[in-house]
Amino acid sequence: MPILTPTAATGARSAPQEMTYVDPARTMPPEELDGFLEGTSLNGPFVADLLSDMMAHERAGARLYRSVAERTNNPVLKQRYTQFGKETADHVEILETLVAELGGDPGYVSPAARASEKAGTGLVESTFLLSGSVDLMTQELVMLDAVLLAEAKDQANWACLAAMVEDLPEGDVREAFQTAVDEVEVQEDEHLTWAQDTRCRMISLQATSGPTTSLVMKAEEMVARIRSLFE
Amino acid sequence: MAFNPLDEQGIAVEDQFRNWSELNVTPYDKHTVDPYTRTRVILMNGIEVESILFSHQFARHTDNLELKRALATSRRVDAQQQKAVNGLNPGEQMPLETTLGYEQVAVDLTAWLARHEPDPMLRQALDFALLEDFDHLYRYANLYDLMYGGHAEEITQHLTEITPGRPTIVEHRHPHDEVRPHFETHAVDPLSRMHVMTIVAAEQQTMNFYMNHGTDWIEPIARGLYAEIALIEEQHVTHYESLLDPLDSWIANWVFHEYNEVYLYWSMLQQESDRRIKAIWDLHCNMEIGQLQVACDFMRRLEGREPAEMLPPALPDTPVTFEPNKDYVRQVLADQIDLRADGIDYVGVDDLPSSHRYFEYQATVNEGGAPSEQVVEQTRDKRGTEHRDETEGDHPIRDLRPQHAS
Repeated sequence: MPILTPTAATGARSAPQEMTYVDPARTMPPEELDGFLEGTSLNGPFVADLLSDMMAHERAGARLYRSVAERTNNPVLKQRYTQFGKETADHVEILETLVAELGGDPGYVSPAARASEKAGTGLVESTFLLSGSVDLMTQELVMLDAVLLAEAKDQANWACLAAMVEDLPEGDVREAFQTAVDEVEVQEDEHLTWAQDTRCRMISLQATSGPTTSLVMKAEEMVARIRSLFE
Repeated sequence: MAFNPLDEQGIAVEDQFRNWSELNVTPYDKHTVDPYTRTRVILMNGIEVESILFSHQFARHTDNLELKRALATSRRVDAQQQKAVNGLNPGEQMPLETTLGYEQVAVDLTAWLARHEPDPMLRQALDFALLEDFDHLYRYANLYDLMYGGHAEEITQHLTEITPGRPTIVEHRHPHDEVRPHFETHAVDPLSRMHVMTIVAAEQQTMNFYMNHGTDWIEPIARGLYAEIALIEEQHVTHYESLLDPLDSWIANWVFHEYNEVYLYWSMLQQESDRRIKAIWDLHCNMEIGQLQVACDFMRRLEGREPAEMLPPALPDTPVTFEPNKDYVRQVLADQIDLRADGIDYVGVDDLPSSHRYFEYQATVNEGGAPSEQVVEQTRDKRGTEHRDETEGDHPIRDLRPQHAS
């Protein structure tokens, strides 16, 4: 089972920064980061931080999918959100396995991971904190927007990792990265393409649906319309 | 034995409203109350005030109707709880006597948290402010003696010593020297998070109390002392709140607040000697569990996160306990009296360069004299000696041993 929220109990460690203090018992020491991927051409500390960042983004994505799957009124969207959410949670586990295989600590929460988590939190909060000032149809688009933005970075992360792997020499390290990329990249491409296409379709359906405005519709009518969107 | 609040239902929030008679509780008798019953009342009032203020801040950052209504409902209950708790303080207990209770809370809560704090940096933060709150008790005790011939140990019952800490006059620091680095929310021990949230709430309410009650007196020495110490409490709130990780979301903070409230009411319940007040702690504990369940439900539905992922499997086994901490306080006094702050660091006063902003700030605010020094001088002049209650021997710092009126 992937760890979707790292805590002290799950072995989370972090690195102190100017304003972040970490208990020495849970500090990721610089020498351990320096030793990551030692003997390869890769910048071990940077790659450790990057993989932690990617994990944080996948975790945020898994939570986003759980949240929007729970709240969407459209069965097609719900099915996709649920499916992609599960796959995203799997991506967390794949990254955890990758880091462990490379000799790193999957519990490491890097400064970059913290920044990604903040962005991810903002993204999921954007789907509900201001829901009082949007109608239900717009709310569906807001949730899909959040998914699109999350998948855009997600797909970019994995494409970048794939490109990096291309330059690695043959061996265990390359094989470990390649296995992860092979499992995930095609799904990320699918997630992003789906989000882009579905968003475009939703906008197109709304734009060509006639002059009836959302304001005029009652909530039940709106929900019925949302439910039938992709029929 | 500690339990997992997530496994309990508590009382449904909609069933938590009480009528005026129920809220208009019978206060304790200030002459017979256990001092630590008083401190428990003061602490839990501060906890409820923080809960209410946090909820208001959260509500100002969303227009999600369901969320706002849920916050308003829990907050209304918290406001009722605050009335029931704070109403235990009797009207015949004058604000200065309540103030002595506040400082007994500050000393014995801070010291206890420090003794049980697993993180060395957080323990240092607690120790630093501990010596300052300890001094405030001494200054207010002298005001009580000066104005009323009162003996503060009738409030503290000798459970907390009354003697100088880090002198209040030297506690005034430039705001830039009050901000500390924060713990990392993923790696932090859950107990440490609760310790910090608890002390933030306690110091915040102390600050609120002094900023509002300082003008209850006519005498300038009293008004001046409250103003001076209220500004130190503002420093303390800045100091402690900066230890919290800003990464946590609004809903995560809501869940953490409710969880900590369950822990604290459960803690108070374990030690309470007054049966009637114990029943209030028990009732409120079950109410907070109900409120926790509401917050957790929103976390699941809106944030897509299972609260059990970020909370420990059970409350800490050790309840937050009010008890004497004299040896600990004396040791911290002996070791850390001369510590000051330099940016995010703690340094000895002798290590500060003469050009440090600390000295400029000191010169500005202390120009013309500090009420915290004046109150002791006036007590010496009036009574022949200052007021102390040293139960464990001479003050560990020779220079802080009593002077007498010349």
